[in-house]
Formats: sequence, structure tokens, C-alpha cells
Amino acid sequence: MVLDDLLSKRLVILSGKGGVGKSTLGMALALAARERGKRVLLVEVDAPREAARALGAGPVGSRVTEITPGLSTVNLDPATVMDEYVRHTVRIEMFVRRILASPIYRRFFAAAPGLPELMVLGKIMTLEEARDGWSRKPRYDLLLVDAPATGHGLSFLKVPLAASLAVPVGPVGSNARRILKLLRDRKRTALAIVTIPEEMAVVEALEFHRLAVEEVGIHAAAVFLNACHEARFTPAQEAEILALGARGAQGRVAPGVSLPGALLAARRQIRRRKLTRFYEARLRRALPLPLVSLPYLFGEPQSAEALTTLARRIEAA
Amino acid sequence: MSRRDPRPGERLAQALTTRRILVVCGSGGVGKTTAAAALALRAAQGGRRVLVCTIDPSRRLATSLGLSKLSERAKLLPLERVDPDATGSLWAMTLDTKRTFDRLVERHAATEEARRRILENRFYQQVSAALAGSHEYMAMEKVLELSADPRFDLVVLDTPPTRHALDFLEAPDRMLGVLDTGVLRYFLRPYFVAGRLTLKIATKTGALALKLADSVLGLQFLQDLSEFFLAFDGMYDGFKERAAQVHALLRREDAGFVLVASPAGPALEEALYFHRRLAEKGMPFVGFVVNRVHPDPAAVPPSGGPESRVGPELAQALASVFREQHALANADQRRIARLEVDVAMPVLRVPEFEADVHDLRGLAQIADVLVPRARRTARTPRRMPARP
Repeated sequence: MVLDDLLSKRLVILSGKGGVGKSTLGMALALAARERGKRVLLVEVDAPREAARALGAGPVGSRVTEITPGLSTVNLDPATVMDEYVRHTVRIEMFVRRILASPIYRRFFAAAPGLPELMVLGKIMTLEEARDGWSRKPRYDLLLVDAPATGHGLSFLKVPLAASLAVPVGPVGSNARRILKLLRDRKRTALAIVTIPEEMAVVEALEFHRLAVEEVGIHAAAVFLNACHEARFTPAQEAEILALGARGAQGRVAPGVSLPGALLAARRQIRRRKLTRFYEARLRRALPLPLVSLPYLFGEPQSAEALTTLARRIEAA
Repeated sequence: MSRRDPRPGERLAQALTTRRILVVCGSGGVGKTTAAAALALRAAQGGRRVLVCTIDPSRRLATSLGLSKLSERAKLLPLERVDPDATGSLWAMTLDTKRTFDRLVERHAATEEARRRILENRFYQQVSAALAGSHEYMAMEKVLELSADPRFDLVVLDTPPTRHALDFLEAPDRMLGVLDTGVLRYFLRPYFVAGRLTLKIATKTGALALKLADSVLGLQFLQDLSEFFLAFDGMYDGFKERAAQVHALLRREDAGFVLVASPAGPALEEALYFHRRLAEKGMPFVGFVVNRVHPDPAAVPPSGGPESRVGPELAQALASVFREQHALANADQRRIARLEVDVAMPVLRVPEFEADVHDLRGLAQIADVLVPRARRTARTPRRMPARP
């Protein structure tokens, strides 16, 4: 259901606080979409570690690279995108080289507030509009954008609005308005909010949802709650664990596994599971969106195995 | 662990009683705000008048302090609620980048006319918050202002949420580079004088550059932008001087940097790099904190209770949960031990608490781990509040 809705869009933006597993979710969603036969482009913005590496390819940089048939990724570095834009607009190689080599150009790009964000969003729009040679069919069915962490993330999405107000005419203003139109088009674009069952991350998700929906006017489609602790014991077992713990029970449950240690681990797990439930309920109450809970993963979160597990869970949600 | 080697905790404890500025750094999502608030709380419990300040696009600090809202005005927190013996006071505030920027402009603008021109500039109003490095610059600016505030003995600064910890140190220079109108003037002034486009272009190259700039960005954009930057003309020196003061302030003996990381591999690698850069820049470093370390169930001591047996199904479920947590704990310890070798100093470990920390009581518990209390106020440790 949730996946159906997301896959009916052309552009899905993943947003959340740092450390909530946005990139991992982006990869899992890309795999799930690929599984459904979609041609997917996973877009990262100035990513320190690129998805391509985790998905088994070398670094891709600012060039779109197909990792497996139907699954491509790109890492958009704002400065490189700007260079490309200059090259595309100016066209005359000699001038292009002179502009790009100029230290003033570099300085200027770093200086212009919002310009890097605008360039990246403009590039995303171009990729969304990309058509294949003769057939004129869209090159990608779905663009998944792993947005910079919130805080910075919202200003990332707010830039087109600010720019369209600040610059009424000229290419910058008109690009900003086109981007804004794409972002606000609920048929094409959706926001997926990513969070984890922790107070700060949940508060930030709620705040981000409010700002994105009310201020920018983006349609939010789903909330992904990562790192959920699930029930590992039956209610009867939980009661027994608590009783044993209260008695200070001694013993051994397996070689190398002491009962007191295991009981403590179990109580910790149970408490985490309860917190998971609590935040699930809170998100459901506060946001009128479908909620997808994904399990806490032990081991390397971006391993092929972990990503496949997540992709299956998203498919089932 | 702090029990194994008391030094890191002592060093931090000392910093809390003697320093006047603590800057808490770390990349996003590592519990930096929580650590900053916990340290501030502990210093206040110890008798100092402490302000904890954050840049807050999403009210992190308020959440961690159990408040629904914080503002630019320092707010006194109910310290007695968690510690009736506390002798100091704890204040909290968030920093509004835009307003700090406005005040900076008001202070440094040479004339009333210049001040008005900036504040009324469309570009400034819409996007000054997005100016590269402005959050970080404003945070430093605020530290300078607060360090002179007689109400506080200690200012704990929670740095802006950046992807990379290092951004905090480097961003202000970036912003200054941006506002260095000397360079921009060279680029813009021949074409835009006092905001008016003049087509009296002296050279052919100039005409060409203008044409290219128009096709790439549009003249209107350039004009707005040049107005924006030209408005800063004459203010740059003031900004730069303030930045130099901040640099000096942060290198003083009564300042200190605390580095916070999570036990995940990439976060530790970055912390290591940041630590090296601090040393290179001559910044006073007071402690390394690794948050949310998974506790090891194998380290639980025998309970001394009755010998008990559990059924096979429960035994299996218990063993698997035990092993998962044991593996997580082991992996954390291995990575942290490697970091300790690399930085040649012990690292403070804060265990992952069973409940989420987002109130003063939870912060007090973290503070107890970071900086164990002096015997004077020692008491039976509180259990984690049953939540939610």
C-alpha cells in the first residue's frame, strides 16, 4: 500500500534528522522499487559515503551510474552541478574553461546564498524530466532523493520558495518557480519522513512535517520509523522474566549465557519495545500519514542482507 | 570505562569547575545536545551559574531539557526539581541565527543608510540564513557576546547540527571569505554601482563576462546579489575583527572543546579526524565522549538470588537476545579501544540508557556517568524514571 503510493510518484524525497538511517532506507526503497520493475535513480546530495559503495559498486560521483539494470545512483555535489550548469548554458568551450578556472567564479558560487541548494534541486528536476532518445519515455520511473539531514534539510527544500520571492525575474527566479511547482505537485512528488523511536528524532519529525507541508507545500506521503524493537517474548514469558528478575534469579540459560545477564538484556529489550510502541502511537496520533515500522538491524545496516530484509518489509507494509 | 581509568572524568570535572566556555562538537545524530545539556547541568549542580546555548532549527535543546519551547531569552530552569542540593543555576537559550545576523548588521553598519539597505534587501530577508557558514558564524558571535555576560560563570555551547563536526570550525572562515567584498567588488562593481546597472563597460572582456553572467544567472539575480554584498561593504572589517576575537577566545585557557561521537564506525573515524584538527589549530581539548554505548549483558555480576531454571523456549529466546546485545557491546568496545589508542587518551563512555533521555532527570543520570559526583553530594543513584 505505502509502497504502491510512493511508486506512483516520480519524485520521493526522504527527510529526517541525522543518524536515523535515511540513506539505508533510501537504498532499501530503491531495491524494493527495482523489484517491482521500476527504473530507479537514487539521488544523494553531497554524500560522505555513497550508496553505490554499499550497493556493491565503486564510487559514482556526480555522474549517474547504473549499478544493476534498472537501478542507478548519483551523488550530487553542488559545485560540480554548478559547473555542469555553466557548461550547459554557455556552451562555448573556451568561455566555459575560462569561467570554471576563475577563482572569482568559485568564490561567487560559495557566496551566493541558496545557490548551491537551488542548483542541486534544479539538477534533480532535470533528471526527473530526462527522456530517452526516440521513445520520449521518461528515463527513470522514480527518483529517490536522500535529502540532507533536517535542520539543514528544510532550508534545502525552502530555498526555491525563498528564491522565487527574492528574485522575481531571470533564470534563477524562473528555475526556482519551476522547482517549487514540481515540489508542490502531489501527483508527481511526495515526501517520506524518516525517524526512529526516540524523543528528539520524533519531535524533529513532527516539526519538519509541519514546516514542509505548511510552509513549502509539499505533500507528505508516509512516515518510516526505523530501528523498531519488536516483540521477542510472549506476554507470559515477559511476566516470567520480570518475576525472575525481581527474585534475582541465578543460573545459566545456555553455555556462556548467565541468567542474570540474559534477564537484564531481556528487560532492556522489552523496554525498548514498549518505547517503540509508544512512539508509533504518538506518530499515528500526530500525523495523518501511513506509518511503516522497520526493524532494528543487528550487524552492518547497509549489508546486502540487511537491505533485502528492509526491502521485504517495505513491500509487505 | 571511567571506573577503569578515572582520568577522563576528572579532566572533564575540572573543566566544569574552572573553564568559562565549553564548546560541544560532533557530527549530527550523536547525542551532542544531550551531552551539552548534561554537562551544563552538572556544572550548575556544582554551584556555577551556567548557560547552555544551542542553535536550534528544531528545538533539540528544549526537548532534551523537557521543555516545549525555548527562546532567545535565557530561561532559568527548575534545577531544584532534580537536585534540591544544587547550589548553582542553570539557564538555557536557543539562538536565532537571523536575529543575531540582524543585530550584527545593526552594530557594524557604518551609516543608518547602509543598515537600512541591508535589512531591507530582499535577498537578505529571504536567504541570509542560508548564507554559507552563517549558522556557525553566528554561534561563535553569540559565544563572544555571552562570554562577557556577567550573569553566567560558564557558557556551554551546543554547536549547530552539521553533517561534519569540522564544519563548525571552518564555516565562519567560509562566511568571512564570502563577505570579503574586496573580491566580490572586483567581480561586481564594474557592472553594478550602488545597485544600478551601468552598461558603461570599459573592456571587451567585461562586456563578455556580463553577457555570460546574464545567460547563466540572469542580470536581475546578479543585481540583487550585488546589492546584497555591496551593502556589506565597510562591514567586513568589523566582522573580521569579531571573528579574530572569537578565535582568540576559543584558544584561551578558560575555553575548552568536548568532542561527542556515537560508537558507530564512521562517527568514530570522524571524531578522530576532528581531534587531530583541533590539536593542529591549537584549540584546548578537554574530553572525548562516546554516547550510547551498548551495555554488555555478559558483564552483569551474579545476583546472589535463588538458583532458577527456565523452560527451553524461554531459554532460547533469552539466549538469542543476550547474544545480540553482547555482540553489539563487543563491537562498540573494540571500536572505542581502537580510538583510545589513536588519540592516546582514555575516552568517556556513556552507556545507552534504557529509556530515552529528554528531561532534567535523565540528563542528571548522564551527568553522573560523565562526571561522577563529589562525595559531598553523593547519594543512592536514582533508578531510571519509568517511562513512558
